[in-house]
Amino acid sequence: MNDLSAAVVHDVKNQLAELAMRLEKRGDAQQEMAIAINAARRLSEMLLIYRQDTNTLSVNSDTVNPADFLAILAAEYRELFPQTTIEINPDKAPQFAFFDDALVRMALSNALHNACRYAKSRVVLSAYEKDKMVVLEVSDDGHGYSASMMAEAGAEPSAVSGIGTGLGLYLARRIAELHQLDGRPGRIELGNAGGAVFRMMLP
Amino acid sequence: MAIVSAVSDKWVLVIDDMEGMRAQLRMALSSAGFAKLHLVGNIRDALEYMAKNRYDVVLCDYSLGDSTDGQQFLEYLRTNDLIARNTIFVMITAEQSYEKVVTASECAPDDYLLKPFTASQFNARLEKQLERQEYFTPIDKATDEKNWLRVIDECNKKLATKDKYYFELIKIKASALVKENRPQEAADLYREILALRPIGWARLGLARTLVMQGSKLEAQVLLQEIIADSPQFLAAYDLLARLLNESGDKQESLNILQKAREISPGTMSRVRELSTLAVSAGKPEIAEAVLKQALKKHKYSPVRQANDYAVLSTALVNQGKAKEALTLMDEVKTMFNDETSNVVIAATESVAHRAAGNTEQAEAALARAMSSGDRSKLPVQAMVSLANACYALGKEKDATDLLRHVVQNNQDDSSIKGKVHDVLVAAGKNTSEADAMIEESMKEVIMLNNNGVRKAEAGQLTEAIELLCQAADRLPNNLQFVGNASLVIALDIVRNGSTSEKLSRFIRYRDALKKKSPNHPKLAQIENLLKQMKK
Repeated sequence: MNDLSAAVVHDVKNQLAELAMRLEKRGDAQQEMAIAINAARRLSEMLLIYRQDTNTLSVNSDTVNPADFLAILAAEYRELFPQTTIEINPDKAPQFAFFDDALVRMALSNALHNACRYAKSRVVLSAYEKDKMVVLEVSDDGHGYSASMMAEAGAEPSAVSGIGTGLGLYLARRIAELHQLDGRPGRIELGNAGGAVFRMMLP
Repeated sequence: MAIVSAVSDKWVLVIDDMEGMRAQLRMALSSAGFAKLHLVGNIRDALEYMAKNRYDVVLCDYSLGDSTDGQQFLEYLRTNDLIARNTIFVMITAEQSYEKVVTASECAPDDYLLKPFTASQFNARLEKQLERQEYFTPIDKATDEKNWLRVIDECNKKLATKDKYYFELIKIKASALVKENRPQEAADLYREILALRPIGWARLGLARTLVMQGSKLEAQVLLQEIIADSPQFLAAYDLLARLLNESGDKQESLNILQKAREISPGTMSRVRELSTLAVSAGKPEIAEAVLKQALKKHKYSPVRQANDYAVLSTALVNQGKAKEALTLMDEVKTMFNDETSNVVIAATESVAHRAAGNTEQAEAALARAMSSGDRSKLPVQAMVSLANACYALGKEKDATDLLRHVVQNNQDDSSIKGKVHDVLVAAGKNTSEADAMIEESMKEVIMLNNNGVRKAEAGQLTEAIELLCQAADRLPNNLQFVGNASLVIALDIVRNGSTSEKLSRFIRYRDALKKKSPNHPKLAQIENLLKQMKK
């Protein structure tokens, strides 16, 4: 992508956002709004990847309360997926974590969006600490990740067919890796346990 | 939703130039239970509403058309104390401007909303902010009063619980300690944070405390590191540029500010720093370019000041473009009409006329500038403009008097001494002459004050009161005089009894002191005296 295509992507993204806004106003087009919002977000991801490629993406970490962070995320997706139950499991969440709120929110949004799409009925968001990392976890009760997706685990999508869930996972991995502490980068982990489990581990 | 009942009496102001966005926000706010809404399309209207109402929440779009952006507006509000600290300021931004918002450091909004967002996300975020607002109310109130000791006190009360606001409390407490001139304690707090994570605000705060403790080189190294790690952290450039300027390296200081500008055109305060610096570093062409661009962008915006045009005029004059400067000032006259601006404009015009060879018009403009009412109320910028104009017309004595007044009225402010120094050097004095003049001005007030205190100690209260009150009236920013004036009147009241006239005079000085410095040590002395009076 070059500057010109980035500008076009940006413009289309804004138009989609405008469309989503108008659909939300109608009140009878929830699903259509969800589609438009998601499409706009995908383009935001594209722009982020572009910035990452051109080394202009940087992490602005500050303190975040993980329970509040997940609560806001859940509130949003309850509106977009009213038929799915989204639960938060904040009991083991640390009082503070250090990360870039906007970037991690974008990565988690994507994971949550996929979870909501593939869940039978229920998605759980959790935060906890493990091995001196804060773990943000999205698990659903769907049929889980395919073997190939687990193998790739966020590798750069090489073919057009990989652009779908693959792009979001790739971006999530890159966002995790940009969070570093004393040379220790963050990472993502995909697993299956009664459905798909997405974990982002941040140092 | 739980917040519905609580929010129905909260006042909300929405600033967005897009009609559709305002409609969406109105809907989201109404459905969340907000009932008291004002929606405006530009910052002029916003300022009008903010002058009349006290808002609990302000939602502002980052991009407000081609003019002043949301971040520049927020900086304007904060630096001019036009918004209470407890007002929740939420910036609505697209992803490409988000970084500018969150790295704005001192003037960062309380929260941001990344477009596109849904009504529920909006409500959830606002709910968290309202919870935070309630928690911080006593601290924010003390902050608005600039009562830093109480800020520290309130933070300490809450820090003990180690709740989720722990880091924010540390941040607020540390900057209050800096304001109270207690850099060591502030540095300890910043280091406590930095032991956990290299958070930007803590690194910048630490650099600030290093400067206060005299470790300027160490501070410079730290600031260079911050910039290398996070090039978008503009506050680090500002502080580094200031340090370099103070150490006399104007060129490098200018380079740093220009680098910051390449990353983001930034707020008017950086434009001001940069252009003033460029003029005094002998690079008027840089000042001209930077100011022209900024003033074009902010053409109809209240963030401009008459002085911005004055600096541009100086930059033009210094390049031999006096005619252009005069045309500019003619236009500027129609933009401002407050007393301070009028003084600045007339003084600037005088300099430009002088440079264009119109001596008579230069004299006339200067006479207009000098005839303004109460000089003790003029801000430093206006005084400096007057002094410049006097020097241009060879009125050495008037110029020196003005600068002496500036130094004496701002006894403890080293940045103002730097400004005066620049004026003297620009007027052709050498560095040691400039230093001597500033030194002499300082000595004069110290002696005057000692004289007053000695008279009071010798029991000559009437003379002491006369002397100190006169000085306090002439130099209302010099808290030494204001404090001693109220102290010596209190002493007179205790010894010789009170009259209503004495009392109202006493209260006037004491309140002036309290307002400018709520924890001034003189206030405690005054309190002690008052206790004797009650006995």
